[in-house]
Amino acid sequence: MRLQTRKILDRAFTGSGVLAIILMTAALLILLTPMFVRGSGAIFFTATVEHRRIMLEKFDRGDRDAVERDIRSARAAREPVYRAIAEFERQLAAGDAAPRRLYATPLKDVKKALSVLFGPEPGRPRPMLMRDQYGQARWDRAQVKLARVLCREEWDYSNPAKAGVLVLKPRAADFAGTPVAEIFPYLQQNADRMLLPRRTVYWQFLTDVSFDSHFFGGIWPEILGTLYLTLGAMMLAIPMGLIAAIYLTEYATESRLLDLLRTCISTLAGVPSIVFGLFGLAFFINTLNVSPSKSVLAGSMTLALMILPTVIRASEEALRAVPRTYKEAALSLGAGRWHAVWTIMLPAALPGILTGIVISMGRAAGETAPIIFTAAVSVGKPLAVWETLTQPTPALSWNIFNLATEHEAVDEVRHVQYGLVLVLVSLVLVLNLVAILLRARIAKRMRV
Amino acid sequence: MSRPGRELPSLLLSHTARRRQRLTAALGTGFLLTVTSLSALAVFFIFYFIARDAWPFFRLEGAREFFTSMRWYPSAGSAEFGARAILVGSGLVTLGAIVVAVPLGVTAAVCLSDVLPFSVRQVVKPVIEILAAIPSVAYGFFALVVLAPLLQQSGGPILGLMVWIIGAPLAALAILVVVDLATDKLSDRSRSRVRVLAFGVLSAVAVAALAVAGKAASGLVISSGTNALNVSLILGIMALPTVVSVSEDALQAVGRDLREGSYALGATRAETLLRTVIPAASSGILAAVILGVMRAVGETMVVWMASGNAAQIPHPWYNLLEPVRTLTATIAGDMGEADHVTGSARYHVLFAMALCLLVFSFACNTSSEWIIRRARKKAGG
Amino acid sequence: MCAEASLPAIRLMVEMQNPAVEGCEKRSEPALPSHVETRDFSVFYRTNQAVKRVSLQMSAGRVTAIIGPSGCGKSTLLRAINRMNDLVPGCHTEGELLFGGQDLYSPDVDVVTLRRRVGMVFQKPNPFPKSIFDNVAYGPRLHGGVSRGGLAETVERSLVDAALWYEVKDRLHENALGLSGGQQQRLCIARALAVQPEILLMDEPTSALDPRATSRIEDLIAELKGHYTIIIVTHNMQQAARVSDYTAFMYEGNLVEFGATTQVFSTPRQKQTEDYITGRFG
Repeated sequence: MRLQTRKILDRAFTGSGVLAIILMTAALLILLTPMFVRGSGAIFFTATVEHRRIMLEKFDRGDRDAVERDIRSARAAREPVYRAIAEFERQLAAGDAAPRRLYATPLKDVKKALSVLFGPEPGRPRPMLMRDQYGQARWDRAQVKLARVLCREEWDYSNPAKAGVLVLKPRAADFAGTPVAEIFPYLQQNADRMLLPRRTVYWQFLTDVSFDSHFFGGIWPEILGTLYLTLGAMMLAIPMGLIAAIYLTEYATESRLLDLLRTCISTLAGVPSIVFGLFGLAFFINTLNVSPSKSVLAGSMTLALMILPTVIRASEEALRAVPRTYKEAALSLGAGRWHAVWTIMLPAALPGILTGIVISMGRAAGETAPIIFTAAVSVGKPLAVWETLTQPTPALSWNIFNLATEHEAVDEVRHVQYGLVLVLVSLVLVLNLVAILLRARIAKRMRV
Repeated sequence: MSRPGRELPSLLLSHTARRRQRLTAALGTGFLLTVTSLSALAVFFIFYFIARDAWPFFRLEGAREFFTSMRWYPSAGSAEFGARAILVGSGLVTLGAIVVAVPLGVTAAVCLSDVLPFSVRQVVKPVIEILAAIPSVAYGFFALVVLAPLLQQSGGPILGLMVWIIGAPLAALAILVVVDLATDKLSDRSRSRVRVLAFGVLSAVAVAALAVAGKAASGLVISSGTNALNVSLILGIMALPTVVSVSEDALQAVGRDLREGSYALGATRAETLLRTVIPAASSGILAAVILGVMRAVGETMVVWMASGNAAQIPHPWYNLLEPVRTLTATIAGDMGEADHVTGSARYHVLFAMALCLLVFSFACNTSSEWIIRRARKKAGG
Repeated sequence: MCAEASLPAIRLMVEMQNPAVEGCEKRSEPALPSHVETRDFSVFYRTNQAVKRVSLQMSAGRVTAIIGPSGCGKSTLLRAINRMNDLVPGCHTEGELLFGGQDLYSPDVDVVTLRRRVGMVFQKPNPFPKSIFDNVAYGPRLHGGVSRGGLAETVERSLVDAALWYEVKDRLHENALGLSGGQQQRLCIARALAVQPEILLMDEPTSALDPRATSRIEDLIAELKGHYTIIIVTHNMQQAARVSDYTAFMYEGNLVEFGATTQVFSTPRQKQTEDYITGRFG
């Protein structure tokens, strides 16, 4: 081959390598950007007067007088809408049966759409579900709902070659010539007066309980559940993992038994997470009966088993990285083997061990499959510490899945889903950052 | 300095003291061994408990239907448990993931170990670590909420663009090499003219082929964004960190002298890597691929959320645009309905699936360990 | 064998048995008690014999140097004296290694007590990643029975003995890894001295140090002489000539020659010793 061609191929090769790395980095950014951008929307958003009402009525938060003033002014702004509808209803009642029949359904739809946007009509009895008691708390959702009031959706099947197409039909046309036709331009122009949107920082999203299957409120039970599960798993996995690592590095002599132990541990590392979940169900709950059904305890045990190989491997590596001469020096001063490990080897290996522990903590916090059958429920209250022995808990990871797929109104709680993802990903990222910093410290110390 | 007249401790131990010392040492080591074995025993426990609950299924329904039938109706009156479509589904998304992860991962690993300067490597390593650390449910959420709507709305044009982005550089390189090899033996005078001609003809052919393929891809209508392609892409990204880090270790293990020997013979970097280093590291890279396969097969949340969960074999089998269902997603999804009826075939069939997963991952793990150990032995001796 | 092994047995050297003693006697030094003695002592790593039937006597309060090319078994012999070889799987010994008349490899010897009485300094300075104070206090704390004030006193005394006190007294609680290489090695010596050993084993203590730090360590060895029995392994013949009273030359596991340092270096009896000293091999 010509030299020039060889050089071009060489450059192409280098270029493809760099490209692969750029693609990988891009993939990471593409993944993280929506999570962070939309996730922060759970905390920083434009809230309507309805949000402030919920805060006042459910949590007794905010300036009562100011909020009540807002509520009054919003009611006053909404008043003409309800008046126009009432007026039209009176006309219909007084008039013929034909228009009454014609307008019955469209009018009902408008009223329904309005109650979704603003909450129940003033003077009506308080509905059962909390989601029906209040209007839209978030300005972005309110605008979607406003569009539903202004237009109705219709599927157009006129072209048989294609699938149905969604068309928006302005409702104003349906009510042309009636008093109700007036409300649509009014709504469009005065939406902000009726809902009073304001930039809000809802920090309490992280510490509030949720209401009405996450329609309102925060994600504290999920955060707490994840913390319980993770800490419980670490409490079980760290001692066992450390002891195993100490045995494998400091005590065991090369033998068949040691080979077997190593094979077992690496097999354990390769077991799919869902199988851990089934095992947790079959063993911890159905056989050992650690709890009558799902519980934080059973979930922690399952997670602990899952991260055990990671803890063992990381601790083993950290212990092996401690210079042998430390141990020899301790022994030459007359320390026993256990004493040398305890006072010299473990402290010297600590940063490395911590790195492994922190990383496996991130893994325990993020895993879903092992806790599906052993610990997770979709709705629950925050647990007290002793309740973790018997009670199941909601958890960040499980509720991301649950709210995104099994929730009755997936679109309505999108912001909660993103908020959960943001919190979980940030938790894992912070843990990994700690690990990276720890590792940098070790590297620096090794250079001294 | 050393104090005179101090009492020297005796070197000898009394009989009882010696026995006590030995006993404590033995007890201590015994305790450590017990705890260590406990974590190892867990593996046997897992195998035992999964197999124990899988066994009734095979006894009740037999293995034949499970592996050969495609009819998966576990809740019907006369339930049918044909898991072939589900097994194929697992295989299909794994294959897709490998197609994404291996070329990208191995190239990135080569770049990390041999091309990039140290400072850049320090920046790229955390990227890999973070990719590995992001919880699978977050990947699943991305697949379901971001990627699936995108594929559904504009999947065709995206695929068409991908054909060009991937195809054009590959075609250009292929043409370059082919023309070069073909004209190598010609005499000097005629060579340059023939070369220009060949370039022209081949490029035209390639552009035409790409245009046709791109047009076909843009015309594709994706009826559902939650399909095998979506899952394969995400699983591929998830398997990347494993593939990259294990391959990189394998490449690093190849000695400097081998590289220097190749350079000394006048090889370029690409030739050194492709002809010398990568073949020497091939067993380690194979182990990396196996570990990547394990990661993809065992993944639950992404496939459960974004694969569409339809127990069918796509038509044709490689059509990644159709929804599929995998073993892990079936276990996760059906246990919610089945665990109230402990003892039914519906409950036990899920354990049978878990057993399949377990056996497969055990085989993968053992073979990758064996490959790595053999490679190390070869390098050592 | 002496029954009261708790005291260093006063064993007079049997002069005529060992040619080394002749050299000693010619300089009309008083006969010294032997502190450590090997008799046909061998060390095996599995089947490989690293030390081959070595018999020599190391005198109390003196500096004995063991020299020889690398791999000659000198470190193995040294590490046999405080039984550090126990850590190596498959290592076993034959013959006798007597310490104050007691065979160290008899089953009822307490290794912990042994190591307390036999201090060791390693090839590379290996202070623990702790403070300077904690490094020196490690041994005394381990063996207990020291009050807080007593501990501080012990640490100070050991650092003074190791000629390090004036350099570090204001930063006793800083990390020991911040010291220079030579200071680290003296800290290791102080750490070994803090448990008040009788014997100090030094395994090429200056091989990782620069010339200035080396000469400070050598001065220190000269100061410690008389208070401790020092056994030093070195590949540096000048160093052996400078610091030691007796020199043993080993080659491929065998003890080739042993005698007073002046004699070994000026009039070696064996051809091999002469070749090694004059730099013809090794």
